[in-house]
Amino acid sequence: MHQGLIRFDGVWKKFRRGERHDSLRDLIPAMARALVRRRQGDDLDRQEFWALEDVSFEVSPGEALGIIGPNGAGKSTVLKILTRLIRPTRGRSLVRGRIGSLIEIGGSLHPDLTGRENVFLQGSIMGMGRAEIARKFDEIVAFAGLADFIDTPVKRYSSGMNARLGFAVAAHLETDVLIIDEVLAVGDSAFQRKAFDRMQVMVSGGIPAIVVSHQLDRITTLCGRAMLLARGKVAYQGPTSECIEAYARHQPAPAVSERAGDSVRLDSITRDSAAPVASGDRIRVVIAGDAPAERAEARRVVGVRVRSLQTGGILYASGTEAHGLDLPQGPFELEVDLEMNVSPGIYAIESAVWQWQREVDAIFGPVALVHVSGGPSFWGSVQLKSAMRVKARPAGA
Amino acid sequence: MTEPSPPLTENASRAGARLALGADVSEMVHELVEYRELLLSLVRRDLLLRYKQTIMGFGWAILMPVTYMIVFSMIFTRVVKLETGVPYPIYVYAGLLPWNLFASSLRFSVGSLTANTTLITKVYFPRELLPFTAILVSLVDFAVGAIVLAGLMAWYHVGLHWTIVLLPIVILVQVIFTAAVALLLSMGNLFYRDVKYMIEILITLWMFATSVVYPVNRVGGHLAPILALNPMTPIIDAYRSVLLHGQVPAIGPFAWSAGFAVALLAVSWVLFHRAEFQFAERI
Repeated sequence: MHQGLIRFDGVWKKFRRGERHDSLRDLIPAMARALVRRRQGDDLDRQEFWALEDVSFEVSPGEALGIIGPNGAGKSTVLKILTRLIRPTRGRSLVRGRIGSLIEIGGSLHPDLTGRENVFLQGSIMGMGRAEIARKFDEIVAFAGLADFIDTPVKRYSSGMNARLGFAVAAHLETDVLIIDEVLAVGDSAFQRKAFDRMQVMVSGGIPAIVVSHQLDRITTLCGRAMLLARGKVAYQGPTSECIEAYARHQPAPAVSERAGDSVRLDSITRDSAAPVASGDRIRVVIAGDAPAERAEARRVVGVRVRSLQTGGILYASGTEAHGLDLPQGPFELEVDLEMNVSPGIYAIESAVWQWQREVDAIFGPVALVHVSGGPSFWGSVQLKSAMRVKARPAGA
Repeated sequence: MTEPSPPLTENASRAGARLALGADVSEMVHELVEYRELLLSLVRRDLLLRYKQTIMGFGWAILMPVTYMIVFSMIFTRVVKLETGVPYPIYVYAGLLPWNLFASSLRFSVGSLTANTTLITKVYFPRELLPFTAILVSLVDFAVGAIVLAGLMAWYHVGLHWTIVLLPIVILVQVIFTAAVALLLSMGNLFYRDVKYMIEILITLWMFATSVVYPVNRVGGHLAPILALNPMTPIIDAYRSVLLHGQVPAIGPFAWSAGFAVALLAVSWVLFHRAEFQFAERI
């Protein structure tokens, strides 16, 4: 039974924008100012901001918590406080047991030492004893796939080899809690697959884990629960799928295309039902909007774009012009039927408006979400509706 | 039967906690024990690198004090005759060897944090291990350089005295003092890179304010009371007392150095530990 535990109790962290005084020249006036004005720890200076505001969560054994949010939301700050790189301004973080961080450490390998020497050094930096590293050594080298190069100085390694070795060391640490931070950009796709499998094994082994990633499908696979951070605050905490939905809704959606004399307003997009559908089912969405004035040279196209929330990838986009439709002047409703020939997951259907044959200018409006769960079994992202037949072949012909 | 619970690590705000000294000290001691293997690994790394990147390897540990010994011997036996009680070359080498331990510890440690930026911003470990590593590596050089001292003593027929058993105490006091200064300098350099440039001047001035190449009490005048406070002089003198003269170090001055060293280490270590959590933000 694992006994690790991760807890954040009302953590606040203050950061400072811009440069601090880096030479003695600036220090002396700053110290004089600090003496004159006694400040409370909670006040914000002009240059300061809260990177985290009152963040609390707990991860128990057998659980993995995903942390998602836009860039600058405070995800890395949470990890830095957990791993004790920085202290919180208020509140506390508690970790029971040894912390293992699966972070990109390839860059901290020493170029003049051989792979072997680096494994021992990196291992001990991450908290392993010499005996423990010696015991795991062969496994680490095999995982990195560097058996032939292990006695070569790391400066002769390619950047991929470097990253693989760094990851392999981190992935073989015996830990009580696990922190995973966007390491999946390491190595080629085969190694990425291997690294991800390793993570799944570690997480499913029952150690409490925290996963930070922009790749939402990774979070969905690894974590049952997720937390959405936005501008340092916890915007949502709960089941991963709901958290991802909250994230999709949270993303700023400019709803109005405002060009001089040419405005189309997208008011809403509604789905016929909120229920999950099976792969291959048809859904209907209705976009409501207003096209007050039309100018001859600017024919407007309204349509939809479908995005996978797991990968962020765009699967499909189409509009009125492709369907031989013209947009009437004034308020309108556009019905769109879609056949969801996709693998299970969560998809965002974005309303969009763009100018005739100028898709780069597209502007996206309100978003509807579709859960696709189950349906005919296939692998991959698109249902290609394969047909298969099997025949016996005459033997020995 | 239950397994023992793994240790709990807390990372709590120390805002307004001037009283948290106890928590800091227990954390410091705890970490040093926990990370002792890392300290050895870092020392091994630095020695290995030195051995790999230079042809002379440990020869450099000898070359530096020996060169200085020859230069100063020329000056103080031919240009100006200096009365030192023992042959001048051995007098000066017995001063240069421990001084070199001090000076190279400071030189290596001042940049030890800034040279490991990637480590400091990615992995937590007690950061004092980096300056401490610099000192331990310099201690290895010191041991290598001591072979030359033994050779000189044999050449000049300076016999061993029982007082050599006091040598470890002298080395310990010096290492404590060196560690205290190294912590302050490495931390200072992380926040203000001016320190790196200051250090060479500091070391040169400090050497001539210490009885390394001549007995500093000959300086006299207004400077005498200030020079008497220099904690390095009693330490260097103590090396000569126990090694060359067979005397117990002068108790008063040596006790001052020892007391000062311990007090300074305590203060600088606590300061270092408290600033440590800003390193990743400020480096």
